[in-house]
Amino acid sequence: MSDEMTGVISAGMPPHAHLLNTLARADDGLLKGFAEGVLPLLGEIEVVQSRTGLVMLPLRDTVASTDFHLGEVLVAEAHIRLKDRPIEGYGMVIGRDLERAMAMAVIDAAAMAGTDEERLGHFIATQATRIRAADEERLRAVEATRVEMETF
Amino acid sequence: MAYVATRGGERAIDQSERLYRADLGEIDAQRVTAIRQSLPWLIDRVMGEASLYEPDLAALALAQSGGDLYEAVLLLRAWRTTQPRLAIAEPVRQEDLFTVRRISAAFKDIPGGQILGPTLDYSHRLLATGVLEGQPFVPTPVEPAARPAPARQPSLAAWQKSVGLVADVPAAPVAPDDIPDLTREPLLFPAKRAHTLQSLARADTGGVLALGYSAMRGYGNAHPTVNELRLAEAELKVRHPRGTIFSGGRVKVSQAEVTNKGKSGKLDLGFCATLGWNEVKVIAGATLDLNAPGAPKNSAVNEEFFLYHTEPVEASGFCIHFKLPHYVTFQSSLDALRDAKAKQAAPAAPAVLQRQEEPA
Repeated sequence: MSDEMTGVISAGMPPHAHLLNTLARADDGLLKGFAEGVLPLLGEIEVVQSRTGLVMLPLRDTVASTDFHLGEVLVAEAHIRLKDRPIEGYGMVIGRDLERAMAMAVIDAAAMAGTDEERLGHFIATQATRIRAADEERLRAVEATRVEMETF
Repeated sequence: MAYVATRGGERAIDQSERLYRADLGEIDAQRVTAIRQSLPWLIDRVMGEASLYEPDLAALALAQSGGDLYEAVLLLRAWRTTQPRLAIAEPVRQEDLFTVRRISAAFKDIPGGQILGPTLDYSHRLLATGVLEGQPFVPTPVEPAARPAPARQPSLAAWQKSVGLVADVPAAPVAPDDIPDLTREPLLFPAKRAHTLQSLARADTGGVLALGYSAMRGYGNAHPTVNELRLAEAELKVRHPRGTIFSGGRVKVSQAEVTNKGKSGKLDLGFCATLGWNEVKVIAGATLDLNAPGAPKNSAVNEEFFLYHTEPVEASGFCIHFKLPHYVTFQSSLDALRDAKAKQAAPAAPAVLQRQEEPA
Protein backbone atom coordinates (compact mmCIF):
# COMPACT_ATOMS: atom_id res chain seq x y z
CA MET A 1 0.00 0.00 0.00
CA SER A 2 1.26 3.49 -0.77
CA ASP A 3 2.25 5.79 2.03
CA GLU A 4 -0.81 7.97 2.66
CA MET A 5 1.19 11.16 2.70
CA THR A 6 3.78 10.76 0.01
CA GLY A 7 2.57 7.93 -2.15
CA VAL A 8 5.85 6.08 -1.63
CA ILE A 9 4.97 2.45 -1.41
CA SER A 10 6.36 1.29 1.91
CA ALA A 11 4.01 1.09 4.85
CA GLY A 12 2.57 -2.38 5.15
CA MET A 13 4.36 -3.58 2.02
CA PRO A 14 6.34 -6.80 2.06
CA PRO A 15 10.04 -6.00 2.50
CA HIS A 16 10.81 -7.23 -1.01
CA ALA A 17 8.33 -4.82 -2.61
CA HIS A 18 9.69 -1.98 -0.47
CA LEU A 19 13.22 -2.87 -1.55
CA LEU A 20 12.29 -2.90 -5.25
CA ASN A 21 10.17 0.28 -5.10
CA THR A 22 13.02 2.09 -3.43
CA LEU A 23 15.67 0.81 -5.83
CA ALA A 24 13.56 1.81 -8.84
CA ARG A 25 13.52 5.43 -7.66
CA ALA A 26 16.93 5.57 -6.01
CA ASP A 27 19.50 8.24 -6.87
CA ASP A 28 21.12 7.15 -10.12
CA GLY A 29 24.76 7.62 -9.21
CA LEU A 30 24.43 6.14 -5.74
CA LEU A 31 22.47 3.15 -7.04
CA LYS A 32 25.11 2.28 -9.62
CA GLY A 33 27.92 2.93 -7.14
CA PHE A 34 26.35 0.63 -4.55
CA ALA A 35 25.84 -2.12 -7.13
CA GLU A 36 29.47 -1.90 -8.22
CA GLY A 37 30.48 -2.31 -4.59
CA VAL A 38 28.48 -5.50 -3.97
CA LEU A 39 29.06 -7.06 -7.39
CA PRO A 40 32.45 -8.63 -6.52
CA LEU A 41 30.91 -10.20 -3.41
CA LEU A 42 28.32 -12.14 -5.42
CA GLY A 43 30.72 -14.32 -7.37
CA GLU A 44 30.10 -15.23 -10.97
CA ILE A 45 26.76 -14.18 -12.38
CA GLU A 46 24.83 -15.19 -15.47
CA VAL A 47 22.89 -12.50 -17.30
CA VAL A 48 19.51 -13.98 -18.21
CA GLN A 49 18.17 -10.75 -19.71
CA SER A 50 19.41 -7.22 -20.27
CA ARG A 51 17.18 -5.32 -22.66
CA THR A 52 14.74 -2.52 -23.23
CA GLY A 53 11.10 -3.23 -23.95
CA LEU A 54 7.57 -2.05 -23.44
CA VAL A 55 5.13 -2.37 -20.60
CA MET A 56 1.51 -1.67 -21.45
CA LEU A 57 -0.18 0.48 -18.83
CA PRO A 58 -3.90 -0.09 -18.28
CA LEU A 59 -6.11 2.37 -16.43
CA ARG A 60 -9.58 1.92 -14.96
CA ASP A 61 -12.22 4.24 -16.40
CA THR A 62 -14.09 5.97 -13.58
CA VAL A 63 -17.42 6.03 -15.44
CA ALA A 64 -18.04 2.42 -16.48
CA SER A 65 -15.17 0.80 -14.54
CA THR A 66 -13.63 -0.47 -17.77
CA ASP A 67 -9.95 -1.33 -17.79
CA PHE A 68 -8.34 0.00 -20.96
CA HIS A 69 -4.83 0.53 -22.29
CA LEU A 70 -3.54 4.05 -21.79
CA GLY A 71 -0.33 3.43 -23.73
CA GLU A 72 3.05 1.78 -23.45
CA VAL A 73 5.98 2.74 -21.26
CA LEU A 74 9.56 2.08 -22.29
CA VAL A 75 11.46 0.22 -19.59
CA ALA A 76 14.91 -1.24 -19.08
CA GLU A 77 14.95 -4.76 -17.71
CA ALA A 78 17.76 -6.85 -16.20
CA HIS A 79 17.55 -10.41 -14.93
CA ILE A 80 20.57 -12.18 -13.48
CA ARG A 81 21.32 -15.48 -11.79
CA LEU A 82 24.15 -16.36 -9.44
CA LYS A 83 26.16 -19.30 -10.79
CA ASP A 84 26.96 -20.98 -7.49
CA ARG A 85 23.66 -20.39 -5.67
CA PRO A 86 19.98 -20.65 -6.65
CA ILE A 87 19.52 -16.91 -6.41
CA GLU A 88 18.15 -14.54 -9.00
CA GLY A 89 18.10 -10.77 -9.17
CA TYR A 90 15.71 -8.64 -11.18
CA GLY A 91 15.42 -5.01 -12.06
CA MET A 92 12.95 -3.01 -14.13
CA VAL A 93 12.97 0.76 -14.34
CA ILE A 94 11.20 3.29 -16.53
CA GLY A 95 13.48 4.56 -19.29
CA ARG A 96 16.33 3.21 -21.40
CA ASP A 97 19.10 2.96 -18.83
CA LEU A 98 20.22 -0.67 -18.91
CA GLU A 99 22.97 0.00 -16.38
CA ARG A 100 20.40 1.27 -13.92
CA ALA A 101 18.23 -1.84 -14.35
CA MET A 102 21.32 -4.04 -13.96
CA ALA A 103 22.35 -2.21 -10.80
CA MET A 104 18.87 -2.85 -9.41
CA ALA A 105 19.11 -6.55 -10.30
CA VAL A 106 22.54 -6.85 -8.68
CA ILE A 107 21.31 -5.26 -5.45
CA ASP A 108 18.16 -7.42 -5.51
CA ALA A 109 20.36 -10.53 -5.80
CA ALA A 110 22.63 -9.25 -3.03
CA ALA A 111 19.61 -8.77 -0.77
CA MET A 112 18.44 -12.31 -1.50
CA ALA A 113 21.90 -13.67 -0.82
CA GLY A 114 22.20 -11.72 2.44
CA THR A 115 25.34 -10.01 1.14
CA ASP A 116 26.53 -6.93 2.97
CA GLU A 117 23.19 -6.75 4.77
CA GLU A 118 23.95 -3.89 7.10
CA ARG A 119 25.20 -1.56 4.40
CA LEU A 120 22.32 -2.58 2.12
CA GLY A 121 19.78 -1.89 4.84
CA HIS A 122 21.29 1.54 5.39
CA PHE A 123 21.30 2.26 1.65
CA ILE A 124 17.62 1.36 1.30
CA ALA A 125 16.63 3.35 4.39
CA THR A 126 18.57 6.38 3.17
CA GLN A 127 17.08 6.24 -0.31
CA ALA A 128 13.54 5.71 1.01
CA THR A 129 13.97 8.79 3.18
CA ARG A 130 15.28 10.80 0.21
CA ILE A 131 12.32 9.71 -1.96
CA ARG A 132 9.82 10.56 0.78
CA ALA A 133 11.44 13.96 1.25
CA ALA A 134 11.26 14.71 -2.50
CA ASP A 135 7.61 13.71 -2.63
CA GLU A 136 6.84 15.72 0.48
CA GLU A 137 8.51 18.80 -0.95
CA ARG A 138 6.44 18.46 -4.11
CA LEU A 139 3.24 17.95 -2.16
CA ARG A 140 3.88 20.97 0.05
CA ALA A 141 4.08 23.04 -3.14
CA VAL A 142 0.89 21.38 -4.37
CA GLU A 143 -0.88 22.07 -1.08
CA ALA A 144 -0.06 25.76 -1.51
CA THR A 145 -2.46 25.74 -4.49
CA ARG A 146 -5.44 24.44 -2.51
CA VAL A 147 -8.39 26.74 -3.15
CA GLU A 148 -11.60 27.40 -1.25
CA MET A 149 -14.19 28.35 -3.83
CA GLU A 150 -16.86 30.85 -2.90
CA THR A 151 -20.07 31.55 -4.76
CA PHE A 152 -22.14 34.70 -4.55
CA MET B 1 -7.34 5.47 -54.97
CA ALA B 2 -4.42 4.31 -57.00
CA TYR B 3 -0.75 5.02 -57.05
CA VAL B 4 1.44 4.72 -60.06
CA ALA B 5 5.03 3.57 -60.00
CA THR B 6 7.34 6.23 -61.33
CA ARG B 7 11.02 6.15 -62.21
CA GLY B 8 13.69 8.76 -61.97
CA GLY B 9 14.38 11.50 -59.49
CA GLU B 10 16.61 9.48 -57.17
CA ARG B 11 19.19 12.24 -56.97
CA ALA B 12 16.53 14.91 -56.37
CA ILE B 13 14.95 12.78 -53.64
CA ASP B 14 18.30 12.29 -51.95
CA GLN B 15 19.11 15.97 -52.15
CA SER B 16 15.68 17.00 -50.89
CA GLU B 17 16.18 14.94 -47.73
CA ARG B 18 19.63 16.47 -47.32
CA LEU B 19 18.13 19.95 -47.72
CA TYR B 20 15.46 19.21 -45.10
CA ARG B 21 18.03 17.93 -42.63
CA ALA B 22 20.51 20.70 -43.40
CA ASP B 23 17.85 23.26 -42.54
CA LEU B 24 17.44 21.60 -39.14
CA GLY B 25 21.15 21.53 -38.51
CA GLU B 26 23.18 19.23 -36.32
CA ILE B 27 21.28 17.28 -33.69
CA ASP B 28 23.20 16.21 -30.63
CA ALA B 29 22.38 14.98 -27.14
CA GLN B 30 22.57 18.50 -25.74
CA ARG B 31 19.89 19.73 -28.14
CA VAL B 32 17.65 16.79 -27.26
CA THR B 33 18.09 17.45 -23.55
CA ALA B 34 17.26 21.13 -24.05
CA ILE B 35 14.04 20.22 -25.87
CA ARG B 36 13.05 17.72 -23.18
CA GLN B 37 13.68 20.17 -20.36
CA SER B 38 12.18 23.25 -21.94
CA LEU B 39 9.07 21.82 -23.62
CA PRO B 40 7.55 19.32 -21.16
CA TRP B 41 3.95 19.95 -22.25
CA LEU B 42 4.83 19.36 -25.89
CA ILE B 43 6.77 16.23 -24.96
CA ASP B 44 3.69 15.00 -23.10
CA ARG B 45 1.48 15.65 -26.11
CA VAL B 46 3.78 13.73 -28.44
CA MET B 47 4.10 10.82 -26.00
CA GLY B 48 0.34 10.63 -25.55
CA GLU B 49 -0.38 10.58 -29.28
CA ALA B 50 2.48 8.19 -29.97
CA SER B 51 1.21 5.98 -27.15
CA LEU B 52 4.79 5.57 -25.96
CA TYR B 53 6.09 7.07 -22.73
CA GLU B 54 9.77 7.99 -23.03
CA PRO B 55 10.57 11.71 -22.75
CA ASP B 56 14.07 11.45 -24.24
CA LEU B 57 12.83 9.67 -27.34
CA ALA B 58 9.96 12.13 -27.70
CA ALA B 59 12.45 15.00 -27.51
CA LEU B 60 14.65 13.29 -30.11
CA ALA B 61 11.63 12.80 -32.39
CA LEU B 62 10.82 16.50 -32.08
CA ALA B 63 14.42 17.44 -32.85
CA GLN B 64 14.51 15.20 -35.92
CA SER B 65 11.18 16.45 -37.20
CA GLY B 66 11.90 20.09 -36.47
CA GLY B 67 8.75 20.26 -34.37
CA ASP B 68 6.39 18.73 -36.95
CA LEU B 69 4.15 16.95 -34.46
CA TYR B 70 2.72 14.38 -36.86
CA GLU B 71 6.18 13.48 -38.08
CA ALA B 72 7.38 13.15 -34.48
CA VAL B 73 4.43 10.92 -33.56
CA LEU B 74 5.07 8.78 -36.63
CA LEU B 75 8.76 8.41 -35.71
CA LEU B 76 7.89 7.33 -32.19
CA ARG B 77 5.17 4.92 -33.24
CA ALA B 78 7.52 3.36 -35.78
CA TRP B 79 10.28 3.03 -33.18
CA ARG B 80 7.82 1.45 -30.77
CA THR B 81 7.38 -1.47 -33.15
CA THR B 82 11.07 -2.36 -32.72
CA GLN B 83 10.58 -3.12 -29.04
CA PRO B 84 9.23 -6.31 -27.49
CA ARG B 85 6.35 -6.06 -25.07
CA LEU B 86 7.67 -7.38 -21.78
CA ALA B 87 4.58 -7.14 -19.62
CA ILE B 88 1.20 -5.59 -18.96
CA ALA B 89 1.21 -3.55 -15.77
CA GLU B 90 -1.43 -3.65 -13.05
CA PRO B 91 -4.37 -1.38 -13.94
CA VAL B 92 -4.04 2.11 -12.52
CA ARG B 93 -6.93 3.13 -10.28
CA GLN B 94 -7.83 6.76 -9.82
CA GLU B 95 -7.52 6.62 -6.04
CA ASP B 96 -3.88 5.43 -6.35
CA LEU B 97 -2.71 8.36 -8.46
CA PHE B 98 -0.05 10.70 -7.06
CA THR B 99 -2.20 13.76 -7.70
CA VAL B 100 -0.88 17.28 -8.25
CA ARG B 101 -3.97 18.95 -9.71
CA ARG B 102 -7.63 18.17 -9.16
CA ILE B 103 -10.49 20.52 -9.81
CA SER B 104 -14.21 20.37 -10.42
CA ALA B 105 -16.31 22.97 -12.21
CA ALA B 106 -19.56 21.17 -11.38
CA PHE B 107 -19.18 20.78 -7.61
CA LYS B 108 -17.63 23.42 -5.39
CA ASP B 109 -17.05 21.31 -2.29
CA ILE B 110 -15.72 17.99 -3.47
CA PRO B 111 -14.41 15.35 -1.08
CA GLY B 112 -10.71 16.07 -0.67
CA GLY B 113 -11.06 19.67 -1.81
CA GLN B 114 -9.87 21.45 -4.92
CA ILE B 115 -6.18 21.79 -5.71
CA LEU B 116 -5.20 24.03 -8.60
CA GLY B 117 -1.73 22.53 -9.06
CA PRO B 118 0.49 23.78 -11.90
CA THR B 119 -1.70 25.91 -14.19
CA LEU B 120 -1.93 29.21 -16.06
CA ASP B 121 -5.74 29.16 -15.99
CA TYR B 122 -5.99 32.32 -13.92
CA SER B 123 -2.90 34.13 -15.21
CA HIS B 124 -2.38 37.08 -17.52
CA ARG B 125 -0.93 35.84 -20.78
CA LEU B 126 1.93 38.26 -21.24
CA LEU B 127 4.85 37.62 -23.53
CA ALA B 128 8.11 38.17 -21.63
CA THR B 129 9.73 40.26 -24.36
CA GLY B 130 12.41 41.38 -21.94
CA VAL B 131 14.04 37.99 -22.42
CA LEU B 132 14.95 39.05 -25.95
CA GLU B 133 16.61 42.13 -24.53
CA GLY B 134 18.81 40.20 -22.15
CA GLN B 135 16.56 40.10 -19.09
CA PRO B 136 16.09 36.43 -18.19
CA PHE B 137 12.62 35.41 -17.05
CA VAL B 138 13.16 33.94 -13.60
CA PRO B 139 10.03 32.30 -12.17
CA THR B 140 9.03 33.27 -8.65
CA PRO B 141 9.37 30.22 -6.41
CA VAL B 142 6.30 28.63 -4.80
CA GLU B 143 5.78 29.37 -1.14
CA PRO B 144 5.20 25.82 0.07
CA ALA B 145 2.48 25.03 2.59
CA ALA B 146 3.47 23.96 6.06
CA ARG B 147 2.12 20.48 5.50
CA PRO B 148 1.98 18.47 2.30
CA ALA B 149 -1.17 17.76 0.31
CA PRO B 150 -2.37 14.17 0.48
CA ALA B 151 -0.66 12.26 -2.31
CA ARG B 152 -3.87 10.49 -3.15
CA GLN B 153 -7.24 12.12 -3.66
CA PRO B 154 -10.62 10.40 -3.50
CA SER B 155 -12.61 9.74 -6.64
CA LEU B 156 -15.45 12.21 -7.17
CA ALA B 157 -17.30 9.76 -9.41
CA ALA B 158 -17.13 7.12 -6.68
CA TRP B 159 -18.74 9.55 -4.25
CA GLN B 160 -21.41 10.46 -6.82
CA LYS B 161 -22.15 6.79 -7.33
CA SER B 162 -22.40 6.21 -3.59
CA VAL B 163 -25.04 8.94 -3.21
CA GLY B 164 -27.00 7.88 -6.27
CA LEU B 165 -26.15 10.87 -8.49
CA VAL B 166 -24.46 8.67 -11.08
CA ALA B 167 -25.30 5.16 -12.20
CA ASP B 168 -22.93 2.69 -10.62
CA VAL B 169 -21.39 0.22 -13.05
CA PRO B 170 -19.43 -2.34 -11.05
CA ALA B 171 -16.04 -3.33 -12.43
CA ALA B 172 -16.07 -6.63 -14.29
CA PRO B 173 -12.82 -8.43 -13.55
CA VAL B 174 -10.63 -8.70 -16.65
CA ALA B 175 -7.15 -10.19 -16.64
CA PRO B 176 -4.61 -7.64 -17.94
CA ASP B 177 -3.80 -9.97 -20.85
CA ASP B 178 -7.46 -9.96 -21.88
CA ILE B 179 -7.96 -6.21 -22.04
CA PRO B 180 -8.88 -5.40 -25.66
CA ASP B 181 -5.83 -3.90 -27.37
CA LEU B 182 -6.04 -1.70 -30.46
CA THR B 183 -2.37 -2.24 -31.25
CA ARG B 184 -3.08 -5.91 -31.87
CA GLU B 185 -6.66 -5.98 -33.14
CA PRO B 186 -8.73 -3.79 -35.44
CA LEU B 187 -11.12 -1.08 -34.34
CA LEU B 188 -14.63 -2.35 -35.16
CA PHE B 189 -18.02 -0.74 -34.55
CA PRO B 190 -19.87 -0.60 -32.30
CA ALA B 191 -16.52 -0.28 -30.50
CA LYS B 192 -15.74 -1.98 -27.22
CA ARG B 193 -15.45 0.67 -24.52
CA ALA B 194 -11.84 -0.36 -23.91
CA HIS B 195 -11.13 0.32 -27.60
CA THR B 196 -12.89 3.67 -27.51
CA LEU B 197 -10.93 4.87 -24.50
CA GLN B 198 -7.61 3.52 -25.81
CA SER B 199 -8.25 5.19 -29.14
CA LEU B 200 -9.05 8.53 -27.47
CA ALA B 201 -5.95 8.19 -25.28
CA ARG B 202 -3.74 8.12 -28.41
CA ALA B 203 -5.87 10.45 -30.51
CA ASP B 204 -4.71 13.65 -32.14
CA THR B 205 -5.15 16.55 -29.72
CA GLY B 206 -6.18 19.01 -32.42
CA GLY B 207 -8.67 16.61 -33.94
CA VAL B 208 -10.25 15.73 -30.61
CA LEU B 209 -10.44 19.44 -29.77
CA ALA B 210 -12.09 20.35 -33.08
CA LEU B 211 -14.76 17.68 -32.83
CA GLY B 212 -15.23 18.09 -29.07
CA TYR B 213 -15.49 21.85 -29.52
CA SER B 214 -18.22 21.41 -32.11
CA ALA B 215 -20.18 19.42 -29.52
CA MET B 216 -19.56 22.08 -26.87
CA ARG B 217 -20.86 24.78 -29.23
CA GLY B 218 -24.14 23.00 -29.72
CA TYR B 219 -23.63 20.51 -32.53
CA GLY B 220 -23.71 17.69 -29.99
CA ASN B 221 -26.55 16.62 -27.74
CA ALA B 222 -24.98 17.26 -24.33
CA HIS B 223 -23.23 20.36 -23.03
CA PRO B 224 -20.29 19.43 -20.81
CA THR B 225 -19.33 20.68 -17.38
CA VAL B 226 -16.03 19.43 -15.95
CA ASN B 227 -16.94 17.00 -13.21
CA GLU B 228 -13.33 16.28 -12.33
CA LEU B 229 -10.03 17.11 -14.00
CA ARG B 230 -6.91 15.50 -12.68
CA LEU B 231 -3.19 15.72 -13.43
CA ALA B 232 -1.19 13.05 -11.71
CA GLU B 233 1.57 10.49 -11.78
CA ALA B 234 0.78 6.78 -11.95
CA GLU B 235 2.94 3.97 -10.62
CA LEU B 236 4.01 1.43 -13.22
CA LYS B 237 3.30 -1.69 -11.18
CA VAL B 238 4.99 -4.77 -12.61
CA ARG B 239 5.65 -8.30 -11.42
CA HIS B 240 9.05 -9.56 -10.25
CA PRO B 241 9.87 -13.14 -11.38
CA ARG B 242 9.31 -14.23 -7.77
CA GLY B 243 5.79 -12.76 -7.87
CA THR B 244 6.32 -9.53 -5.95
CA ILE B 245 4.38 -6.59 -7.39
CA PHE B 246 6.49 -3.44 -7.36
CA SER B 247 6.66 -0.03 -8.98
CA GLY B 248 9.28 0.57 -11.66
CA GLY B 249 8.67 4.32 -11.38
CA ARG B 250 5.96 6.84 -12.18
CA VAL B 251 4.57 8.29 -15.41
CA LYS B 252 2.51 11.43 -15.89
CA VAL B 253 -1.18 10.92 -16.72
CA SER B 254 -4.19 13.18 -17.10
CA GLN B 255 -7.85 12.34 -16.96
CA ALA B 256 -11.18 14.13 -17.08
CA GLU B 257 -14.82 13.42 -16.51
CA VAL B 258 -17.42 15.77 -17.93
CA THR B 259 -21.05 15.68 -16.89
CA ASN B 260 -24.52 16.57 -18.02
CA LYS B 261 -27.98 15.93 -16.65
CA GLY B 262 -29.16 12.65 -18.11
CA LYS B 263 -32.66 11.59 -19.09
CA SER B 264 -32.79 8.95 -16.37
CA GLY B 265 -32.77 11.54 -13.57
CA LYS B 266 -29.10 10.93 -12.89
CA LEU B 267 -25.96 12.63 -14.12
CA ASP B 268 -24.34 11.27 -17.25
CA LEU B 269 -20.53 11.20 -17.34
CA GLY B 270 -18.03 11.13 -20.18
CA PHE B 271 -14.44 10.04 -19.60
CA CYS B 272 -11.06 10.40 -21.24
CA ALA B 273 -7.47 9.89 -20.09
CA THR B 274 -4.08 10.01 -21.73
CA LEU B 275 -0.39 9.56 -21.06
CA GLY B 276 1.25 12.86 -20.11
CA TRP B 277 -0.44 16.07 -19.08
CA ASN B 278 -2.84 17.34 -21.72
CA GLU B 279 -5.98 18.98 -20.34
CA VAL B 280 -7.47 20.12 -23.64
CA LYS B 281 -7.41 16.61 -25.01
CA VAL B 282 -8.99 14.89 -22.03
CA ILE B 283 -11.76 17.49 -21.63
CA ALA B 284 -12.58 17.42 -25.35
CA GLY B 285 -12.28 13.60 -25.43
CA ALA B 286 -14.57 13.21 -22.43
CA THR B 287 -17.07 15.53 -24.17
CA LEU B 288 -17.08 13.23 -27.20
CA ASP B 289 -17.54 10.21 -24.92
CA LEU B 290 -20.44 11.96 -23.17
CA ASN B 291 -22.14 12.78 -26.47
CA ALA B 292 -21.54 9.46 -28.21
CA PRO B 293 -24.48 7.36 -26.94
CA GLY B 294 -27.30 7.60 -29.48
CA ALA B 295 -25.46 10.12 -31.67
CA PRO B 296 -26.69 10.30 -35.28
CA LYS B 297 -24.54 8.42 -37.79
CA ASN B 298 -21.94 10.65 -39.47
CA SER B 299 -22.31 13.41 -36.90
CA ALA B 300 -19.12 14.67 -35.28
CA VAL B 301 -20.07 13.05 -31.99
CA ASN B 302 -20.81 9.67 -33.54
CA GLU B 303 -18.18 7.29 -32.18
CA GLU B 304 -17.23 5.85 -35.56
CA PHE B 305 -16.83 9.36 -36.95
CA PHE B 306 -14.64 10.80 -34.21
CA LEU B 307 -12.50 7.73 -33.61
CA TYR B 308 -11.69 7.33 -37.30
CA HIS B 309 -10.96 11.01 -37.80
CA THR B 310 -8.76 11.64 -34.77
CA GLU B 311 -6.19 8.89 -35.33
CA PRO B 312 -3.15 11.11 -35.96
CA VAL B 313 -0.91 8.81 -37.97
CA GLU B 314 -3.65 7.59 -40.29
CA ALA B 315 -5.20 11.02 -40.71
CA SER B 316 -1.95 12.88 -41.38
CA GLY B 317 -0.68 10.04 -43.56
CA PHE B 318 -3.84 10.09 -45.63
CA CYS B 319 -3.65 13.85 -46.01
CA ILE B 320 -0.04 14.01 -47.10
CA HIS B 321 -0.24 10.97 -49.34
CA PHE B 322 -2.05 13.20 -51.82
CA LYS B 323 1.35 14.69 -52.61
CA LEU B 324 2.48 11.39 -54.05
CA PRO B 325 2.07 10.67 -57.77
CA HIS B 326 -1.58 10.12 -58.69
CA TYR B 327 -0.94 10.38 -62.41
CA VAL B 328 -3.17 7.47 -63.40
CA THR B 329 -6.17 8.55 -61.33
CA PHE B 330 -5.77 12.18 -62.28
CA GLN B 331 -5.29 11.23 -65.91
CA SER B 332 -8.63 9.45 -65.79
CA SER B 333 -10.18 12.61 -64.32
CA LEU B 334 -8.66 14.64 -67.13
CA ASP B 335 -9.96 12.13 -69.67
CA ALA B 336 -13.43 12.41 -68.15
CA LEU B 337 -13.19 16.20 -68.22
CA ARG B 338 -12.12 16.26 -71.86
CA ASP B 339 -14.80 13.76 -72.73
CA ALA B 340 -17.43 15.93 -71.03
CA LYS B 341 -16.18 18.99 -72.89
CA ALA B 342 -16.27 17.11 -76.15
CA LYS B 343 -19.82 15.97 -75.43
CA GLN B 344 -20.79 19.54 -74.57
CA ALA B 345 -19.45 20.68 -77.90
CA ALA B 346 -20.81 17.72 -79.82
CA PRO B 347 -24.60 18.48 -79.85
CA ALA B 348 -24.03 21.70 -81.75
CA ALA B 349 -22.55 19.91 -84.70
CA PRO B 350 -25.47 17.57 -85.43
CA ALA B 351 -27.88 20.52 -85.06
CA VAL B 352 -25.96 22.45 -87.64
CA LEU B 353 -25.84 19.41 -89.81
CA GLN B 354 -29.55 18.93 -89.31
CA ARG B 355 -30.25 22.52 -90.22
CA GLN B 356 -28.03 22.14 -93.20
CA GLU B 357 -29.93 19.06 -94.14
CA GLU B 358 -33.34 20.63 -93.61
CA PRO B 359 -33.51 22.52 -96.90
CA ALA B 360 -33.23 19.30 -98.66
